[in-house]
Amino acid sequence: MKKRIISISIYVLPLPLILASLFIGPSQSATPEAIFRAIFYDTGNVSLIHSVLLDVRLPRILLTFLVGGSLAISGCSFQAIFRNPLTDSYILGLSSGAAFGAALALAYSFLPVQLSAFLFGLLAVGLSYYMARKNKNVSIVSLILAGIIVSGIFTALLTIVQFFSDPFRLQSIVHWTMGNLHNASWEKLESSVIPITAGVFILFIFRWRLNVLALGDDEARTVGINPERDQLIVLIAATLASSSAVAAAGIIGLYGLIVPHIVRMLNGPDNRQSIPLNFLFGGAFLLIIDDISRTIAGFELPIGVFTMLIGAPFFIFLMKKTNIGWNS
Amino acid sequence: MEQLSKAISVTGLSFAYSGPVILKDVDIEIESGKLTFILGQNGSGKSTFLKILAGLLHFQKGSIKISGKETTKLSFSERSRMTGFLNQSHKAVFPFSVGDVVLTGRAGFINYIPKKIDIEAAGQAMEKAGILHLKNRNYAELSGGEQQLVMIARLLAQNPKILLLDEPTTHLDFTNQSHLIKLLKNLVQEGLTIIAVIHDPNLAFLFGDDFLFVKDKKVIRSDESSTAWDIDFLKTIYHGNIQSIPYNGRALLVPS
Repeated sequence: MKKRIISISIYVLPLPLILASLFIGPSQSATPEAIFRAIFYDTGNVSLIHSVLLDVRLPRILLTFLVGGSLAISGCSFQAIFRNPLTDSYILGLSSGAAFGAALALAYSFLPVQLSAFLFGLLAVGLSYYMARKNKNVSIVSLILAGIIVSGIFTALLTIVQFFSDPFRLQSIVHWTMGNLHNASWEKLESSVIPITAGVFILFIFRWRLNVLALGDDEARTVGINPERDQLIVLIAATLASSSAVAAAGIIGLYGLIVPHIVRMLNGPDNRQSIPLNFLFGGAFLLIIDDISRTIAGFELPIGVFTMLIGAPFFIFLMKKTNIGWNS
Repeated sequence: MEQLSKAISVTGLSFAYSGPVILKDVDIEIESGKLTFILGQNGSGKSTFLKILAGLLHFQKGSIKISGKETTKLSFSERSRMTGFLNQSHKAVFPFSVGDVVLTGRAGFINYIPKKIDIEAAGQAMEKAGILHLKNRNYAELSGGEQQLVMIARLLAQNPKILLLDEPTTHLDFTNQSHLIKLLKNLVQEGLTIIAVIHDPNLAFLFGDDFLFVKDKKVIRSDESSTAWDIDFLKTIYHGNIQSIPYNGRALLVPS
């Protein structure tokens, strides 16, 4: 019953949250009061408020939601197919790979940023998996180890790209890798909405299959599932969603690790519910974090800073409070 | 008709992992509607043979027919209606509930999302295996024996014609062993074919219908002239370290 209430609230939460977030921001002229006056009495600087709400805040809110949702949903999927609760796109090296790919595209404009991020993200996950695989077996520890190494390689490559970039491009690359949402725009939203939606949609279709895959290759094969094929589909969909998130907002470390665990603690491990809940909760939670950061800081700090400072204590609180059964 | 009564026909089967040959030119037929036990020394290749039958290992030579059909030509879901497999042990990483684990047995019938009929089938399977009371428990926190019964319920939910069980009784106490054996006997009565690798020859000879032995890279039966519990025959399987006590027309065996 309690679980039901929690999951229903996660379903209901996003819409009012998105509306409320429109009222939050550093602009002196678009205070909640001014917005109300503009909407209901058509007084004040209506066109400015119109532009702040629809051209500045709304795309940022939607992008934040999509980024948070896709990092969480792909983290949850990676954990299921790799049968490893300690993994996400950051730990697998995907984030660094995608960041390198995006930086390369920003510096040399040889490919669209999104595509380059996706290809290098996929390459990074593939490398981690290949390095960790031994005798048809991928152990939890070796996958994490391989991911850290791959992540290190791409971070080093990223530094090389930055080193050889001209100052103007360097600035945009550095800004972007720190994880930021403040230069969100409709164009940015448009370029990420298709790959993210496609990835999320496929993961949603495969949500119950993730339960089967999470039990083991032999256990999946003997009940009629082709584990290699399904893992590859999920891997590509999750990489598509999370590399697009990285391409749009930079690296937001460990968000895809923390949110699936929070959802599991709130609602249990069944991926039929976890997959949609991760997208909604992941989106809403990042939006809340972004709202807080916009409210308390008069200036723009990279979103990754606040995800860690707010997400981590919440995670630890839940971990202490709930018994999820990792101890056995 | 003769062909139909064979659940599995193996001809000229050879298998090696990457090193030495484990099974060589195996020819054996296993009849349907029986409880067949596979015995042999540790490391003789019993589990390997069972995994090959389950389609989990790719053999290098020979052919396997299940209900008259070449296994290499079957799709994953066709295969899952014919054979089901119980692993020696299974460790869950995620704290899934028992009900969720059993439901995955229905994967061969399910496109993407389980329907009501699948959930009902999983419920009936749990009832049959006697674990309905564990339905909402965390699978990872159960004892080894309870986990074994959950995986058997998962097999029942899958509902294949042939069950391949790798040491199904290993983690079970006497109560659960007897419960499981009765369950297996009932399933055979209902028309299923069960092939199980087992360590304990006593359990095998007390309850089995047919017996296979894995020895020297072959899978064999005892001669027509002797019973499977014939002591001279068993001495060749277990290198002489065995003695028998007559029991109920069959025999109990102890190490010597």
